Amino acid sequence: MTHPMIQFDKVLKAYGALKVLEDLDFSVDKGEVVSIIGPSGSGKTTVLRVLMTLEPIQGGTMYVDGEPLNRMNVDGQLVDASKAHISRIRSKLGMVFQNFNLFPHMTALQNCIESPIYTQGKSKAEATDEAMRLLDMVGLADKAGHYPSQLSGGQQQRVAIARTLAMHPEVLLFDEPTSALDPEMVGEVLQVIRDLANSGNYTILLVTHQMGFAREVSDRVCFFDGGKMVEQGRPDDLFGNPQNQRLQQFLSKVLEAG
Amino acid sequence: MDWRWDFTFDVVLPKMWEAAGVTVWATLASFALALVGGLILMLLKTHRSKWVSRPATEVIEVIRATPLLVQIFFLFFLLPEIGITLPPLTTGILAIGLYNSALCAEVYRAGFQAVPKGQWEACIALNMSTYRTFKDVIIPQSLPPIVPALGNYLVAIFKETPLLSFVAVAEIMQVSKLIGAEYYRFTEAITIAGLFFLVMSLIAAFLIRIVENYVKRSILH
Repeated sequence: MTHPMIQFDKVLKAYGALKVLEDLDFSVDKGEVVSIIGPSGSGKTTVLRVLMTLEPIQGGTMYVDGEPLNRMNVDGQLVDASKAHISRIRSKLGMVFQNFNLFPHMTALQNCIESPIYTQGKSKAEATDEAMRLLDMVGLADKAGHYPSQLSGGQQQRVAIARTLAMHPEVLLFDEPTSALDPEMVGEVLQVIRDLANSGNYTILLVTHQMGFAREVSDRVCFFDGGKMVEQGRPDDLFGNPQNQRLQQFLSKVLEAG
Repeated sequence: MDWRWDFTFDVVLPKMWEAAGVTVWATLASFALALVGGLILMLLKTHRSKWVSRPATEVIEVIRATPLLVQIFFLFFLLPEIGITLPPLTTGILAIGLYNSALCAEVYRAGFQAVPKGQWEACIALNMSTYRTFKDVIIPQSLPPIVPALGNYLVAIFKETPLLSFVAVAEIMQVSKLIGAEYYRFTEAITIAGLFFLVMSLIAAFLIRIVENYVKRSILH
Protein backbone atom coordinates (compact mmCIF):
# COMPACT_ATOMS: atom_id res chain seq x y z
CA MET A 1 0.00 0.00 0.00
CA THR A 2 1.35 3.39 -0.88
CA HIS A 3 0.76 6.33 1.37
CA PRO A 4 1.19 10.06 0.86
CA MET A 5 4.39 11.67 2.18
CA ILE A 6 2.34 14.30 4.00
CA GLN A 7 -1.24 13.94 5.05
CA PHE A 8 -3.54 16.24 7.01
CA ASP A 9 -6.62 14.51 8.37
CA LYS A 10 -9.34 16.89 9.61
CA VAL A 11 -6.76 19.23 11.10
CA LEU A 12 -8.11 22.07 13.21
CA LYS A 13 -5.97 25.02 14.26
CA ALA A 14 -7.68 27.74 16.27
CA TYR A 15 -6.69 30.72 18.37
CA GLY A 16 -9.60 30.81 20.79
CA ALA A 17 -12.72 31.17 18.68
CA LEU A 18 -10.78 32.08 15.55
CA LYS A 19 -10.32 29.03 13.33
CA VAL A 20 -7.19 29.42 11.24
CA LEU A 21 -7.43 25.94 9.71
CA GLU A 22 -10.76 24.19 9.71
CA ASP A 23 -11.09 20.44 9.16
CA LEU A 24 -8.25 20.49 6.70
CA ASP A 25 -7.81 17.38 4.55
CA PHE A 26 -4.74 17.67 2.42
CA SER A 27 -2.04 15.37 1.18
CA VAL A 28 1.22 15.53 -0.73
CA ASP A 29 2.77 12.57 -2.52
CA LYS A 30 6.39 11.58 -2.23
CA GLY A 31 8.51 13.68 -4.58
CA GLU A 32 5.68 16.05 -5.35
CA VAL A 33 6.27 19.81 -5.46
CA VAL A 34 3.23 21.66 -4.15
CA SER A 35 2.81 25.41 -3.88
CA ILE A 36 0.33 27.03 -1.55
CA ILE A 37 -0.99 30.45 -2.51
CA GLY A 38 -3.62 32.67 -1.01
CA PRO A 39 -4.29 36.05 0.55
CA SER A 40 -2.71 36.93 3.90
CA GLY A 41 -4.69 35.43 6.77
CA SER A 42 -5.76 32.51 4.60
CA GLY A 43 -3.91 30.02 6.80
CA LYS A 44 -1.34 29.07 4.17
CA THR A 45 1.69 29.68 6.38
CA THR A 46 -0.09 27.97 9.27
CA VAL A 47 -0.13 24.73 7.26
CA LEU A 48 3.67 24.70 7.33
CA ARG A 49 3.94 25.89 10.93
CA VAL A 50 1.68 23.22 12.41
CA LEU A 51 3.36 20.53 10.32
CA MET A 52 6.78 21.63 11.61
CA THR A 53 5.25 21.45 15.15
CA LEU A 54 5.99 25.12 15.76
CA GLU A 55 2.39 25.44 16.90
CA PRO A 56 0.02 22.87 18.40
CA ILE A 57 -3.17 21.88 16.62
CA GLN A 58 -6.51 21.55 18.35
CA GLY A 59 -7.87 18.61 16.40
CA GLY A 60 -7.14 16.04 13.73
CA THR A 61 -4.02 14.14 12.83
CA MET A 62 -1.02 14.87 10.65
CA TYR A 63 0.89 12.00 9.02
CA VAL A 64 4.42 12.01 7.69
CA ASP A 65 5.40 9.11 5.45
CA GLY A 66 2.46 7.11 6.74
CA GLU A 67 3.21 7.64 10.43
CA PRO A 68 1.19 9.95 12.66
CA LEU A 69 3.17 13.01 13.79
CA ASN A 70 1.14 14.62 16.56
CA ARG A 71 -0.23 11.28 17.73
CA MET A 72 1.30 7.85 18.19
CA ASN A 73 0.19 4.28 18.18
CA VAL A 74 0.12 2.60 21.59
CA ASP A 75 -1.48 -0.84 21.72
CA GLY A 76 -3.51 -0.10 18.63
CA GLN A 77 -4.78 3.23 19.91
CA LEU A 78 -3.76 6.70 18.85
CA VAL A 79 -2.65 8.82 21.82
CA ASP A 80 -0.93 12.20 22.04
CA ALA A 81 2.62 11.84 20.82
CA SER A 82 5.58 11.88 23.19
CA LYS A 83 8.48 14.28 22.69
CA ALA A 84 10.68 11.44 21.46
CA HIS A 85 8.08 10.32 18.92
CA ILE A 86 7.59 13.84 17.58
CA SER A 87 11.34 14.29 17.34
CA ARG A 88 11.75 11.04 15.39
CA ILE A 89 9.01 11.84 12.87
CA ARG A 90 10.01 15.49 12.66
CA SER A 91 13.50 14.52 11.54
CA LYS A 92 12.03 13.86 8.09
CA LEU A 93 11.00 17.52 7.80
CA GLY A 94 13.11 20.58 7.16
CA MET A 95 11.94 24.18 7.08
CA VAL A 96 13.22 27.37 5.50
CA PHE A 97 11.84 30.54 7.06
CA GLN A 98 10.84 33.89 5.66
CA ASN A 99 13.34 35.63 7.95
CA PHE A 100 16.08 32.98 7.57
CA ASN A 101 16.45 32.59 11.37
CA LEU A 102 20.15 31.87 11.12
CA PHE A 103 21.99 31.77 14.44
CA PRO A 104 23.66 35.22 14.47
CA HIS A 105 26.50 34.22 16.81
CA MET A 106 27.65 31.37 14.57
CA THR A 107 29.38 31.48 11.19
CA ALA A 108 27.65 30.12 8.07
CA LEU A 109 29.56 26.87 8.53
CA GLN A 110 28.80 26.61 12.26
CA ASN A 111 25.12 27.15 11.48
CA CYS A 112 25.26 24.17 9.13
CA ILE A 113 27.09 21.74 11.42
CA GLU A 114 25.47 22.49 14.81
CA SER A 115 22.54 20.13 14.56
CA PRO A 116 24.20 17.40 12.43
CA ILE A 117 26.84 17.10 15.17
CA TYR A 118 24.66 17.36 18.27
CA THR A 119 21.34 15.94 17.04
CA GLN A 120 22.54 13.34 14.56
CA GLY A 121 25.81 12.54 16.30
CA LYS A 122 28.06 13.08 13.30
CA SER A 123 31.76 13.73 13.79
CA LYS A 124 32.86 17.31 13.33
CA ALA A 125 34.96 16.39 10.29
CA GLU A 126 32.11 14.54 8.63
CA ALA A 127 29.60 17.32 9.34
CA THR A 128 32.05 19.95 8.07
CA ASP A 129 32.70 18.06 4.81
CA GLU A 130 29.00 17.76 4.19
CA ALA A 131 28.27 21.38 5.13
CA MET A 132 31.02 22.64 2.82
CA ARG A 133 29.59 20.56 -0.01
CA LEU A 134 26.15 22.09 0.61
CA LEU A 135 27.49 25.63 0.94
CA ASP A 136 29.30 25.07 -2.34
CA MET A 137 26.06 23.85 -3.89
CA VAL A 138 24.29 27.10 -2.94
CA GLY A 139 27.29 29.06 -4.21
CA LEU A 140 28.64 30.20 -0.84
CA ALA A 141 31.66 28.01 -0.10
CA ASP A 142 33.80 31.15 0.12
CA LYS A 143 31.49 32.62 2.79
CA ALA A 144 31.70 29.66 5.20
CA GLY A 145 33.58 31.71 7.81
CA HIS A 146 31.27 34.72 7.59
CA TYR A 147 28.69 35.59 10.21
CA PRO A 148 25.08 36.17 9.09
CA SER A 149 25.41 39.93 9.69
CA GLN A 150 28.21 39.97 7.12
CA LEU A 151 26.00 38.37 4.44
CA SER A 152 23.29 39.82 2.21
CA GLY A 153 19.70 38.67 2.66
CA GLY A 154 19.91 36.39 -0.37
CA GLN A 155 23.14 34.86 0.91
CA GLN A 156 21.65 34.35 4.38
CA GLN A 157 18.67 32.56 2.92
CA ARG A 158 20.94 30.31 0.86
CA VAL A 159 22.93 29.45 4.00
CA ALA A 160 19.61 28.71 5.73
CA ILE A 161 18.73 26.31 2.91
CA ALA A 162 22.13 24.60 3.22
CA ARG A 163 21.61 24.32 6.99
CA THR A 164 18.24 22.66 6.42
CA LEU A 165 19.62 20.25 3.81
CA ALA A 166 22.45 19.24 6.16
CA MET A 167 19.85 17.43 8.28
CA HIS A 168 18.86 15.23 5.33
CA PRO A 169 15.13 15.91 5.44
CA GLU A 170 12.83 14.17 2.98
CA VAL A 171 10.32 16.99 3.01
CA LEU A 172 11.25 20.65 2.55
CA LEU A 173 8.91 23.36 3.79
CA PHE A 174 9.53 26.81 2.35
CA ASP A 175 7.66 29.59 4.15
CA GLU A 176 7.66 32.62 1.84
CA PRO A 177 11.41 32.21 1.35
CA THR A 178 11.83 35.35 -0.76
CA SER A 179 9.36 37.72 0.92
CA ALA A 180 11.97 39.39 3.13
CA LEU A 181 14.49 39.85 0.32
CA ASP A 182 15.37 42.88 -1.77
CA PRO A 183 14.11 42.33 -5.32
CA GLU A 184 17.58 41.83 -6.82
CA MET A 185 18.24 38.91 -4.47
CA VAL A 186 15.06 36.97 -5.12
CA GLY A 187 16.44 35.31 -8.24
CA GLU A 188 19.46 33.67 -6.59
CA VAL A 189 17.28 32.07 -3.91
CA LEU A 190 14.63 30.92 -6.39
CA GLN A 191 17.38 29.31 -8.48
CA VAL A 192 18.44 27.18 -5.50
CA ILE A 193 14.84 26.15 -4.81
CA ARG A 194 14.30 25.42 -8.51
CA ASP A 195 17.32 23.09 -8.51
CA LEU A 196 16.03 21.30 -5.43
CA ALA A 197 12.57 20.92 -6.98
CA ASN A 198 14.02 19.61 -10.24
CA SER A 199 16.34 17.16 -8.48
CA GLY A 200 13.37 14.99 -7.58
CA ASN A 201 15.04 14.12 -4.25
CA TYR A 202 12.61 16.05 -2.10
CA THR A 203 8.95 16.43 -1.42
CA ILE A 204 8.43 20.18 -1.37
CA LEU A 205 5.74 22.38 0.14
CA LEU A 206 6.18 26.00 -0.87
CA VAL A 207 4.19 28.94 0.46
CA THR A 208 4.82 31.85 -1.85
CA HIS A 209 3.63 35.08 -3.38
CA GLN A 210 5.76 34.49 -6.49
CA MET A 211 2.99 33.30 -8.81
CA GLY A 212 5.24 32.90 -11.83
CA PHE A 213 7.67 30.75 -9.88
CA ALA A 214 4.89 28.67 -8.34
CA ARG A 215 3.50 28.01 -11.80
CA GLU A 216 6.92 27.07 -13.12
CA VAL A 217 8.18 24.62 -10.47
CA SER A 218 5.02 23.09 -9.02
CA ASP A 219 3.34 19.82 -9.85
CA ARG A 220 0.27 21.14 -8.11
CA VAL A 221 -0.90 24.49 -6.74
CA CYS A 222 -3.34 24.89 -3.85
CA PHE A 223 -5.33 28.04 -3.20
CA PHE A 224 -6.17 28.70 0.44
CA ASP A 225 -8.75 31.18 1.67
CA GLY A 226 -10.30 31.61 5.11
CA GLY A 227 -8.60 28.56 6.59
CA LYS A 228 -9.74 26.19 3.85
CA MET A 229 -8.30 24.83 0.68
CA VAL A 230 -10.68 26.31 -1.85
CA GLU A 231 -9.20 25.04 -5.09
CA GLN A 232 -6.26 22.95 -6.22
CA GLY A 233 -4.96 21.72 -9.50
CA ARG A 234 -2.14 21.56 -12.03
CA PRO A 235 -0.49 24.98 -12.31
CA ASP A 236 -1.63 25.61 -15.86
CA ASP A 237 -5.23 24.74 -15.00
CA LEU A 238 -5.34 26.70 -11.76
CA PHE A 239 -3.71 29.83 -13.14
CA GLY A 240 -5.12 29.53 -16.69
CA ASN A 241 -8.65 28.55 -15.86
CA PRO A 242 -9.50 29.29 -12.23
CA GLN A 243 -12.95 28.03 -11.22
CA ASN A 244 -13.48 29.56 -7.80
CA GLN A 245 -14.58 33.17 -7.71
CA ARG A 246 -12.30 34.12 -4.84
CA LEU A 247 -9.34 32.60 -6.64
CA GLN A 248 -10.23 34.62 -9.74
CA GLN A 249 -10.36 37.80 -7.66
CA PHE A 250 -7.10 36.93 -5.92
CA LEU A 251 -5.27 36.23 -9.17
CA SER A 252 -6.52 39.37 -10.85
CA LYS A 253 -5.35 41.46 -7.88
CA VAL A 254 -1.96 39.78 -7.74
CA LEU A 255 -1.42 40.05 -11.47
CA GLU A 256 -2.47 43.70 -11.41
CA ALA A 257 0.17 44.40 -8.79
CA GLY A 258 2.65 42.80 -11.16
CA MET B 1 39.45 64.59 63.47
CA ASP B 2 41.55 62.35 65.63
CA TRP B 3 43.14 59.66 63.44
CA ARG B 4 45.84 57.33 64.84
CA TRP B 5 48.02 55.58 62.28
CA ASP B 6 49.69 53.26 64.79
CA PHE B 7 46.27 52.06 65.94
CA THR B 8 45.21 51.68 62.31
CA PHE B 9 48.18 49.51 61.39
CA ASP B 10 48.63 47.55 64.61
CA VAL B 11 45.03 46.81 65.55
CA VAL B 12 42.50 47.69 62.85
CA LEU B 13 44.06 46.39 59.64
CA PRO B 14 45.15 42.94 60.93
CA LYS B 15 41.68 42.26 62.35
CA MET B 16 39.91 43.60 59.31
CA TRP B 17 42.07 41.73 56.84
CA GLU B 18 40.48 38.48 57.94
CA ALA B 19 37.01 40.05 58.04
CA ALA B 20 37.46 41.31 54.48
CA GLY B 21 37.98 37.70 53.44
CA VAL B 22 34.69 36.73 55.06
CA THR B 23 32.91 39.55 53.24
CA VAL B 24 34.36 38.55 49.88
CA TRP B 25 33.53 34.89 50.49
CA ALA B 26 29.97 35.73 51.54
CA THR B 27 29.59 37.86 48.40
CA LEU B 28 30.89 35.25 45.98
CA ALA B 29 29.00 32.36 47.56
CA SER B 30 25.73 34.33 47.64
CA PHE B 31 26.26 35.43 44.05
CA ALA B 32 26.89 31.86 42.88
CA LEU B 33 23.74 30.76 44.69
CA ALA B 34 21.77 33.61 43.12
CA LEU B 35 23.04 32.76 39.62
CA VAL B 36 21.94 29.12 39.86
CA GLY B 37 18.84 29.77 41.98
CA GLY B 38 17.69 32.55 39.65
CA LEU B 39 17.96 30.28 36.63
CA ILE B 40 15.99 27.54 38.41
CA LEU B 41 13.29 29.96 39.57
CA MET B 42 12.99 31.40 36.07
CA LEU B 43 12.64 27.93 34.51
CA LEU B 44 9.98 27.02 37.10
CA LYS B 45 8.16 30.31 36.60
CA THR B 46 8.00 29.87 32.82
CA HIS B 47 7.08 26.18 33.09
CA ARG B 48 4.18 25.00 30.93
CA SER B 49 2.23 23.58 33.88
CA LYS B 50 0.33 26.07 36.05
CA TRP B 51 0.97 23.79 39.05
CA VAL B 52 4.66 24.59 38.73
CA SER B 53 4.66 28.15 37.43
CA ARG B 54 2.10 29.51 39.92
CA PRO B 55 3.97 28.53 43.12
CA ALA B 56 7.26 29.71 41.63
CA THR B 57 5.70 33.07 40.78
CA GLU B 58 4.33 33.39 44.32
CA VAL B 59 7.67 32.49 45.90
CA ILE B 60 9.42 35.12 43.78
CA GLU B 61 6.81 37.70 44.76
CA VAL B 62 7.12 36.94 48.49
CA ILE B 63 10.90 37.13 48.39
CA ARG B 64 10.89 40.38 46.43
CA ALA B 65 8.25 42.00 48.60
CA THR B 66 9.95 41.49 51.97
CA PRO B 67 13.16 43.14 53.26
CA LEU B 68 16.35 41.12 53.09
CA LEU B 69 17.08 41.79 56.76
CA VAL B 70 13.74 40.24 57.73
CA GLN B 71 14.57 37.19 55.63
CA ILE B 72 17.99 36.85 57.24
CA PHE B 73 16.38 36.93 60.72
CA PHE B 74 13.65 34.59 59.53
CA LEU B 75 16.11 31.92 58.37
CA PHE B 76 18.42 32.50 61.31
CA PHE B 77 15.69 31.89 63.92
CA LEU B 78 13.38 29.61 61.92
CA LEU B 79 15.77 26.98 60.57
CA PRO B 80 16.85 25.83 64.07
CA GLU B 81 13.14 25.49 64.94
CA ILE B 82 12.76 22.85 62.25
CA GLY B 83 15.94 21.10 63.31
CA ILE B 84 18.39 22.65 60.84
CA THR B 85 21.26 24.33 62.64
CA LEU B 86 23.71 26.06 60.35
CA PRO B 87 26.58 28.42 61.14
CA PRO B 88 25.43 32.08 60.96
CA LEU B 89 27.61 32.70 57.89
CA THR B 90 25.97 29.82 55.99
CA THR B 91 22.51 30.99 56.98
CA GLY B 92 23.40 34.49 55.82
CA ILE B 93 24.74 33.28 52.47
CA LEU B 94 21.56 31.25 52.03
CA ALA B 95 19.35 34.28 52.75
CA ILE B 96 21.25 36.70 50.51
CA GLY B 97 21.51 34.06 47.77
CA LEU B 98 17.81 33.29 47.90
CA TYR B 99 16.81 36.94 47.93
CA ASN B 100 18.92 37.67 44.89
CA SER B 101 17.76 34.49 43.13
CA ALA B 102 14.32 36.05 42.93
CA LEU B 103 15.80 39.23 41.45
CA CYS B 104 18.09 37.36 39.03
CA ALA B 105 15.16 35.25 37.82
CA GLU B 106 13.70 38.40 36.28
CA VAL B 107 17.02 39.22 34.63
CA TYR B 108 17.18 35.78 33.01
CA ARG B 109 13.55 35.96 31.93
CA ALA B 110 14.04 39.34 30.29
CA GLY B 111 17.22 38.11 28.61
CA PHE B 112 15.63 34.95 27.22
CA GLN B 113 12.59 36.84 26.01
CA ALA B 114 14.84 39.25 24.14
CA VAL B 115 15.96 36.34 21.90
CA PRO B 116 13.72 36.46 18.80
CA LYS B 117 11.04 33.79 18.51
CA GLY B 118 12.48 32.73 15.16
CA GLN B 119 15.58 31.41 16.93
CA TRP B 120 13.50 28.98 18.99
CA GLU B 121 11.63 27.95 15.85
CA ALA B 122 14.85 27.31 13.94
CA CYS B 123 15.94 24.99 16.77
CA ILE B 124 12.67 23.06 16.53
CA ALA B 125 12.93 22.85 12.75
CA LEU B 126 16.48 21.51 13.12
CA ASN B 127 15.17 18.99 15.66
CA MET B 128 17.61 20.18 18.35
CA SER B 129 17.25 18.97 21.93
CA THR B 130 16.09 21.36 24.63
CA TYR B 131 19.55 21.21 26.19
CA ARG B 132 21.35 22.18 22.95
CA THR B 133 18.73 24.81 22.18
CA PHE B 134 19.48 26.56 25.48
CA LYS B 135 23.20 25.93 25.63
CA ASP B 136 24.19 26.76 22.05
CA VAL B 137 21.50 29.13 20.81
CA ILE B 138 19.40 30.83 23.47
CA ILE B 139 21.84 31.40 26.34
CA PRO B 140 24.70 32.79 24.20
CA GLN B 141 22.33 35.26 22.57
CA SER B 142 20.77 36.34 25.86
CA LEU B 143 24.14 37.00 27.52
CA PRO B 144 24.74 40.54 26.20
CA PRO B 145 21.71 41.95 28.08
CA ILE B 146 22.06 39.53 31.03
CA VAL B 147 25.74 39.95 31.91
CA PRO B 148 25.71 43.67 32.81
CA ALA B 149 22.51 43.22 34.83
CA LEU B 150 23.97 40.29 36.75
CA GLY B 151 27.14 42.31 37.30
CA ASN B 152 25.06 44.98 39.00
CA TYR B 153 23.65 42.33 41.32
CA LEU B 154 27.17 41.18 42.20
CA VAL B 155 27.97 44.69 43.40
CA ALA B 156 24.57 44.95 45.12
CA ILE B 157 25.15 41.66 46.97
CA PHE B 158 28.58 42.87 48.04
CA LYS B 159 26.99 45.94 49.57
CA GLU B 160 24.28 43.86 51.25
CA THR B 161 26.75 41.69 53.19
CA PRO B 162 27.00 44.16 56.14
CA LEU B 163 23.46 43.03 57.00
CA LEU B 164 25.10 39.79 58.17
CA SER B 165 26.51 41.74 61.11
CA PHE B 166 22.99 41.58 62.57
CA VAL B 167 23.43 37.84 63.06
CA ALA B 168 26.99 38.25 64.34
CA VAL B 169 28.85 37.07 61.28
CA ALA B 170 32.43 38.30 61.57
CA GLU B 171 32.36 40.16 58.29
CA ILE B 172 33.97 43.53 57.86
CA MET B 173 31.15 45.67 59.32
CA GLN B 174 30.74 43.47 62.36
CA VAL B 175 34.47 43.45 63.04
CA SER B 176 34.77 47.22 62.72
CA LYS B 177 31.89 47.63 65.19
CA LEU B 178 33.62 45.23 67.59
CA ILE B 179 36.91 47.09 67.29
CA GLY B 180 35.09 50.31 68.03
CA ALA B 181 33.35 48.86 71.05
CA GLU B 182 36.53 47.30 72.41
CA TYR B 183 38.83 50.34 72.06
CA TYR B 184 36.19 53.11 72.18
CA ARG B 185 37.53 54.26 68.78
CA PHE B 186 35.28 54.04 65.72
CA THR B 187 36.97 56.49 63.35
CA GLU B 188 39.64 54.23 61.86
CA ALA B 189 37.67 50.98 61.63
CA ILE B 190 34.51 52.45 60.13
CA THR B 191 36.53 54.55 57.67
CA ILE B 192 38.57 51.55 56.58
CA ALA B 193 35.37 49.52 56.15
CA GLY B 194 33.92 52.27 53.98
CA LEU B 195 37.10 52.55 51.91
CA PHE B 196 37.18 48.80 51.49
CA PHE B 197 33.65 48.80 50.03
CA LEU B 198 34.42 51.76 47.80
CA VAL B 199 37.62 50.31 46.36
CA MET B 200 36.22 46.81 45.91
CA SER B 201 33.06 48.14 44.22
CA LEU B 202 35.13 50.18 41.79
CA ILE B 203 37.33 47.19 40.99
CA ALA B 204 34.27 44.98 40.51
CA ALA B 205 32.63 47.53 38.23
CA PHE B 206 35.81 47.68 36.16
CA LEU B 207 36.02 43.88 35.85
CA ILE B 208 32.35 43.62 34.95
CA ARG B 209 32.91 46.16 32.17
CA ILE B 210 35.70 44.00 30.77
CA VAL B 211 33.57 40.84 30.86
CA GLU B 212 30.68 42.75 29.30
CA ASN B 213 32.80 43.94 26.39
CA TYR B 214 34.26 40.48 25.92
CA VAL B 215 30.78 38.93 25.75
CA LYS B 216 29.57 41.58 23.32
CA ARG B 217 32.55 41.12 21.06
CA SER B 218 32.43 37.34 20.99
CA ILE B 219 28.66 37.04 20.46
CA LEU B 220 27.55 40.06 18.46
CA HIS B 221 29.53 40.38 15.27
